[in-house]
Amino acid sequence: MWWILVKLAWRNLFRNTRRTFIAGTAIGIGLAALIFVDALWIGMEENMIKIATSSFLGGGQIHQEGFRKTQEIERTINQHHQVMSNLKQEEIVARFTPRTFAFGMITSPAHVIAAALVGVDPVTEKYLSHVDEMITEGTYFEGDNERNIVIGSKMAEVLEVEIGDRVVATVSQAKTGDLAQEMFRVSGIFHFHNHEMNRGMAFMRLGKSQQILGLKDDIHQIAIKFTDVKYGQNKLLPFWRKYSKYGNEAVSWTEILPELETIFEWTNISKVLLGFVFFIIVVFGIINTLFMSLYERMFEFGVLRAVGTRPSRMAQLILFEAGSLGVLSIGIGIILGIITTYICSKTGIDYTGIEVAGVTIQELIYPVMVIDQFIFYPFWVLVFTTITGLYPAWYAARMSPAKAMRRAG
Amino acid sequence: MTSQQVIVTEDLTKTYSANDVPVYALRGINLTIAAGEFTAIVGPSGSGKTTFLNIISGLDQPTEGKVWLSKELISNMNGRQLSDFRRDNIGFIFQAYNLIPVLTVGENIEYIMLLQGIPKIERHQRVVDILEVVGLAGYIDRKPPQLSGGQQQRVAIARAMVSQPTIILADEPTANLDSKTGSELLEMMYQLNKKTGMTFVFSTHDQAVMDRAQRLITLKDGLIDSDNMQE
Ligand SMILES: Nc1ncnc2c1ncn2[C@@H]1O[C@H](COP(=O)(O)OP(=O)(O)OP(=O)(O)O)[C@@H](O)[C@H]1O
Ligand SMILES: [Mg+2]
Repeated sequence: MWWILVKLAWRNLFRNTRRTFIAGTAIGIGLAALIFVDALWIGMEENMIKIATSSFLGGGQIHQEGFRKTQEIERTINQHHQVMSNLKQEEIVARFTPRTFAFGMITSPAHVIAAALVGVDPVTEKYLSHVDEMITEGTYFEGDNERNIVIGSKMAEVLEVEIGDRVVATVSQAKTGDLAQEMFRVSGIFHFHNHEMNRGMAFMRLGKSQQILGLKDDIHQIAIKFTDVKYGQNKLLPFWRKYSKYGNEAVSWTEILPELETIFEWTNISKVLLGFVFFIIVVFGIINTLFMSLYERMFEFGVLRAVGTRPSRMAQLILFEAGSLGVLSIGIGIILGIITTYICSKTGIDYTGIEVAGVTIQELIYPVMVIDQFIFYPFWVLVFTTITGLYPAWYAARMSPAKAMRRAG
Repeated sequence: MTSQQVIVTEDLTKTYSANDVPVYALRGINLTIAAGEFTAIVGPSGSGKTTFLNIISGLDQPTEGKVWLSKELISNMNGRQLSDFRRDNIGFIFQAYNLIPVLTVGENIEYIMLLQGIPKIERHQRVVDILEVVGLAGYIDRKPPQLSGGQQQRVAIARAMVSQPTIILADEPTANLDSKTGSELLEMMYQLNKKTGMTFVFSTHDQAVMDRAQRLITLKDGLIDSDNMQE
């Protein structure tokens, strides 16, 4: 029985092709927009995660417990030899690099500036951070001169130094707290898309920094790059617990940079808002189309009722029409969605220079199509259209057949 | 009430209110129609013919009074019960636009049987047979807009009869046809009435149609003005 109603509904839809296609296209465009925005957000998130994690942070980090909070030089990673040899065995770990961290002063003949002094292993550091790629002057630790220091562009400006100039770094040593001073030679200047790094960061060789900090071979941080960026977002990964022992803690970048996570939560809210706007389009499109065709076909509805169609079946018929319009719109929406998203995923969208949560977008954003977009959103379109059809359906069910036929006649 | 009485009305009144002004469309109709009658309801425009047919078929509710159809009191039924009752007991023929234009001739006729849950093979056979009866064999897959007015009305007759109801109600079935086609259609209805014994009640303005009727009921201002058996 319901099959004839589906047939009837579907064919009715094409009686006023123009109106149907206008409504279908409006809803279809809405759906395409949802798909596109979703794809864009994914592209944007991937982009931001990449920037956030690959420029310096890494997908995760290991410290001694409490180091992140206190930044005390004494809080070095426990059993770091063991930890590092374990990391080498991890399948999901692509690369890792040890670092020291200390706050100190850098003095030039002209000025003095507070700085985060980072001791790095130039060879492994290359894979974790982009410092080597961001060198604008000089080089990134070429040769093996222990006194090389690589500083940010803004720092160089403040200190009024150039490549080859001398600077003095002052730090307080572990345990004793004695001040230690050491002369360095500026060997490279980097420029990141991040102000604070440009102004307040300086890199030196790990061995040298351990020496001036009095750390022997101890380190403060191991930055980890995973084989897939997704691991860094997965708080449930067993990895974190496994490496949070010996009094150390292993944390994902989402904990180091919670602002970015917050942004991603906002994107979800904006999706809901967009969905709401879309729902309004659907409501108007469907209600309008259904009522127009309802009024046009009053007499027919009267006839259907007269010959014995139950009120509930009339409601069903209208719901099927709403559903058919939904299906048609989904077809149009998916086609439009695929076309626009595909084109943009090839050409990319230029948001470069825009800063979000301290992360500056540096590359074109490529929307990412995933199958979910073509299941989740269409499913809701169908649900929405059918729900919207409830009112016209109720109206049709309630209609007295005699009145329907008289009004039309 | 004897088993012969298919339609019985008692003090049937219908009052519409148009812009708060009451319109007394029916003002107390007492009528009995026996099985197998071929009855015409006539009367000037606005006399209440359509209203009467709508109420005795359960398409509309009377303001007061009672209607029995095949011994069932239909004036108390709810929407769903009425739908099912109409489906199983009444065949309808309207003045025009009887058919659903997006369904084929076959589907239009089949529709009621679908509502009744008749199996597919039987449905198909009955459609073929009834189209033969109304002289439209071979038109099963046509869409109504491709048919002439007379042909469309014949499909309407086929649809009305296919579920073998006790009563066929027709509100001015020939009004949209030229007189020759109208007469042919009426002749067909008359022959079917004789052959099947179904009760036919129809309203009309058409003198030729009136002449063919077995019984002529004249309405005037919502009341029965005359009620004659004719030969
Ligand atoms: N829904 C309604 N609202 C208000 N008045 C109505 C309604 N339906 C019918 N009427 C009135 O009731 C009266 C009877 O109408 P009805 O349609 O039954 O007459 P009729 O005999 O069928 O006329 P016609 O020969 O023109 O078809 C008329 O005065 C009409 O205007
Ligand atoms: Mg009338």
